[in-house]
Amino acid sequence: MEKETKKTALHGWHVAQGANMADFGGYEMPLWYSSAKNEHLGVLQQAGLFDTSHMAALLVSGPDARDLLQHCFTNNLDACVGQPKKPLIPGRCVYGAYLNAQGELIDDSIINQLSENSYMAVINAGMGAVVAGHFRAQAGDREVTISDLTDKLGKIDVQGPMAAKILSKVLAAPESAFEKMFYFSFKGYFDPTSPLADAVRLSDGTPILLSRTGYTGEFGFEIFVSPDKVVKTWEMIYQAGQQFGLTACGLAARDSLRGGAVLPLSHQDIGHWPFINHPWPFALPFNDDQSGFTKSFIGDQALLTIKSPEYTYAFVGGDLRKVSTADPAVVLDPAGTEIGSVLTCVSDMGIDYHRGRLFSIGSPEKPQDFKPRGLCCGFIKVKAPLQPGAEVVLKDKRRKLKVTIVTDIRPDRTARRPIREML
Amino acid sequence: MSKAIGDLVLPDDVRYTLDHEWARQENGNIKVGITDYAQDQLGDIVFVELPEVGRIFSAGEEFGTLESVKAVSELYIPIGGEIVAINEALAETPEQVNSDPFGNGWMIVVKPGDIAEFESLKDKGAYLEILKGSE
Repeated sequence: MEKETKKTALHGWHVAQGANMADFGGYEMPLWYSSAKNEHLGVLQQAGLFDTSHMAALLVSGPDARDLLQHCFTNNLDACVGQPKKPLIPGRCVYGAYLNAQGELIDDSIINQLSENSYMAVINAGMGAVVAGHFRAQAGDREVTISDLTDKLGKIDVQGPMAAKILSKVLAAPESAFEKMFYFSFKGYFDPTSPLADAVRLSDGTPILLSRTGYTGEFGFEIFVSPDKVVKTWEMIYQAGQQFGLTACGLAARDSLRGGAVLPLSHQDIGHWPFINHPWPFALPFNDDQSGFTKSFIGDQALLTIKSPEYTYAFVGGDLRKVSTADPAVVLDPAGTEIGSVLTCVSDMGIDYHRGRLFSIGSPEKPQDFKPRGLCCGFIKVKAPLQPGAEVVLKDKRRKLKVTIVTDIRPDRTARRPIREML
Repeated sequence: MSKAIGDLVLPDDVRYTLDHEWARQENGNIKVGITDYAQDQLGDIVFVELPEVGRIFSAGEEFGTLESVKAVSELYIPIGGEIVAINEALAETPEQVNSDPFGNGWMIVVKPGDIAEFESLKDKGAYLEILKGSE
């Protein structure tokens, strides 16, 4: 059942740069160029450029589009923007997941509201047909059209504190593009025939969808662009970014950055088990006392009536050594009893302890001459609840590592910083 | 892989293993490290775990681990014997395994139990054939 590996429009660029390539989600993607460590540190200190064209996207439109998404999506589109939770409106986006009736994950997603009756759902590589099929099966007699945009767009992420300065050099009208560009908002569209396309253009006239989102925990943008413009857009940004220290980054740095940012990898940290009791409660429409949900959606009842719950937690280790989840790796309590499994274990090379306090290389108050060695971090899933600060042992065939349960990992992340501070 | 086989450094003065370690005779002892191919495949080496001096291994046994950003891999000893030195500098600068795999990136020195084991290791030509076969 060998399937042909797909290539993004930037495949030739990656190979020409000497990238170490590997299969991810059915696509041959760069793992790193010359150094995954430097790519990781580059995003924390300057900025990184990622080819994420392997991601899939669906266009959901029609008078009943919102109703279908409310039925399928875990977050409440009528109460999800900011605090207090306001309804999703055009130009804003929200994170959540699609579950089956058992409350188990189909995929996670960011939904962008394009207009009153039109939404773009960004999902994971290879998941376009699966999620589109799920939507169609759930649509019933709703008046809604679902189309797969996956092969109609390319995607480039610019992540890191210099991202806005870099994009200022390639946008036709950066001031208007960046105005009120809040975290989890977006502007523009990649299809030149759309009325939204005029909102954000590159200096050569190419329309883009510019979104203040990302998968690194750091300040930055995701850019959606027509496939025939991907290479040129990438090269424009790459050139413009050189004076700001922009680094092309592969999936290894993306994985270690998102680990330190406490972001889940779909089908690894969240998957075929109930989507609850995890570090991402903001993806669920909890009511104020957490006793139930503010709307109904597929899987909601299953989540509220679990007989033997499992709990997912973030952890951080004492140094950068990892366990290998391929072995697989298990979790032991201090008495040595097996209590669960390790979902993700990566090294965030930008963090370390200094006199008992955790710093990032991007921390404004980091000590002078701070040179992080990196710390292992990730997620575990266990059978009984643990408190922050609890110590557990991760064990693979090679070693045992003592790690601490935490609510956050890399400090001083920049993702939510106001854009005016970053220009 | 990022480096083409023609771009790999493959010194004549060492022997090679199927696991991509190298072994070099020095004053009757055997110095051991990993090859340019291995470091290129692993990517950034960020941590090297080495055995204590004085420990005794049989040929092919695991003697330590290499931690790259992406993965953890075992190190296998090319020749049996006693560890008489380890490269302490790798604790501070593990990246030397990437930058100078056959020089400053060395890992251990073994006092061989049976030097005939060294003679049975692959020479450069045989190792090159193995790399071509795995392409």
